[in-house]
Amino acid sequence: MNLLRRTVVAALFLAVPVVLAAQDAGVDGRLQTRGLPASLAHRVAVVAAAAAARGVPDGPLADKAIEGWAKQVPPDRIVVAVQRFADQMVRARDAVLTAGIATPQGPVIAAAAEAMRSGMRAEQVRRVVQAAGAGVIAAPGLSVAAALSAQGLGSDQATRIVVGAMQSHRSMQELLDMPSVARVWHDQGMSPGDIEHRMLDGGWNGGGNQGSGRTGDWGDRPPTVAPGTHDHDGHSHYR
Amino acid sequence: MKEWDGFSADAHRYLDGEPFEELSGAELAAADRLTAEVRDYAARLAPLDPSLDVEVMAAVLRRAPARRPGVLAWLLAPRTVRFRPVWVPVLAAAAALVLLVAPRGKRPAGPEVAAAPARTADTVFVRFELEAPQARTVSVAGSFNGWRVGALTMVRDARGMWSATAPLPLGEHRYEFVIDGTRWVPDPTAHAEVDDGFGGRNSVIVVGPKGLVRS
Repeated sequence: MNLLRRTVVAALFLAVPVVLAAQDAGVDGRLQTRGLPASLAHRVAVVAAAAAARGVPDGPLADKAIEGWAKQVPPDRIVVAVQRFADQMVRARDAVLTAGIATPQGPVIAAAAEAMRSGMRAEQVRRVVQAAGAGVIAAPGLSVAAALSAQGLGSDQATRIVVGAMQSHRSMQELLDMPSVARVWHDQGMSPGDIEHRMLDGGWNGGGNQGSGRTGDWGDRPPTVAPGTHDHDGHSHYR
Repeated sequence: MKEWDGFSADAHRYLDGEPFEELSGAELAAADRLTAEVRDYAARLAPLDPSLDVEVMAAVLRRAPARRPGVLAWLLAPRTVRFRPVWVPVLAAAAALVLLVAPRGKRPAGPEVAAAPARTADTVFVRFELEAPQARTVSVAGSFNGWRVGALTMVRDARGMWSATAPLPLGEHRYEFVIDGTRWVPDPTAHAEVDDGFGGRNSVIVVGPKGLVRS
């Protein structure tokens, strides 16, 4: 009996990590938790597992499937979109690897994939990641470059701005402010070339001195609109 | 020596009220005298509280061991576990081994799972606005709320302008407005729009510490 009891104790002890591991149910369980049918969840999980085996994160793939399901996209198209996104992340991972990052983190790969989907080339992704070094600024840097590019600056200009900001040791907060600032300058009539020049010169009051303040310069009210730019004509319109 | 030390077996049976065969006169007299003394002593004892029986039985029931079958009883019963310290590192190593070999959906080591890049603990309140006078409901669904329709509902003013404010982490976010629960509409004032992979367009905002600047 003592042997049996000792065996039970050992089994319970070993069961703890097994249970913890089981809680990481992966893509399949996560998708079913969000209401996706089991058949669709399994198909997406297969794609995600294959992508993970190639070294890309499966979280963004699950997010893409959840997005498609929320938008009531047919299951077959969801699987196609997830597969396409997985292929993009594999290419993005290859681009990141060329920057000398031996084991790129998931957020960097996901940001690189989104940047390349926004029009950035592998070489531009490499330059941004290389400028970031091993820092956590690589992923936001890629996102900012993609946003600047989508605002009309062009991927070359956007890459130069972000790389220049990193080389000037701008903070992540300053980096994240760039799309908003560029948008204001663009609306003030500044050309993309002037925006790039002024950005590279550091000619804007970036957020580096704002610390972790939740509301920046605008006190307690939500800093949704910069002073002087609040204009009802700028609201979104849907009819 | 007590008076009853020399009593015969029949005398004991007589005292116990049991049938007996033969009893001498002296034994019978001694037994009757003892019986009378016992009754006299009992009569002088204080009467017992009638609730005593109830209390005693309740105490007995409280102390009665719970009857559970086999292994279940052993698992549920509190006990002191004795072990040799040498087993601690052995079991810990075994647990670590199980963690390492446990199946995880074939995900290899390396990239960590993360859906939203560039997120920090900092958040900024972002206000979303959409003019849609004909809409019955409008909400914002995006990467910051798991694309849940209705998670961030907007409020309509008298002019038909819908608005909502939400704290968003610093970083890049993708979203769309959802009109009447089914119609997905991008925000033309967002920083950018990108292909959502399903034939539509997602709005993109990059939230910095100063918040979202709208055009």
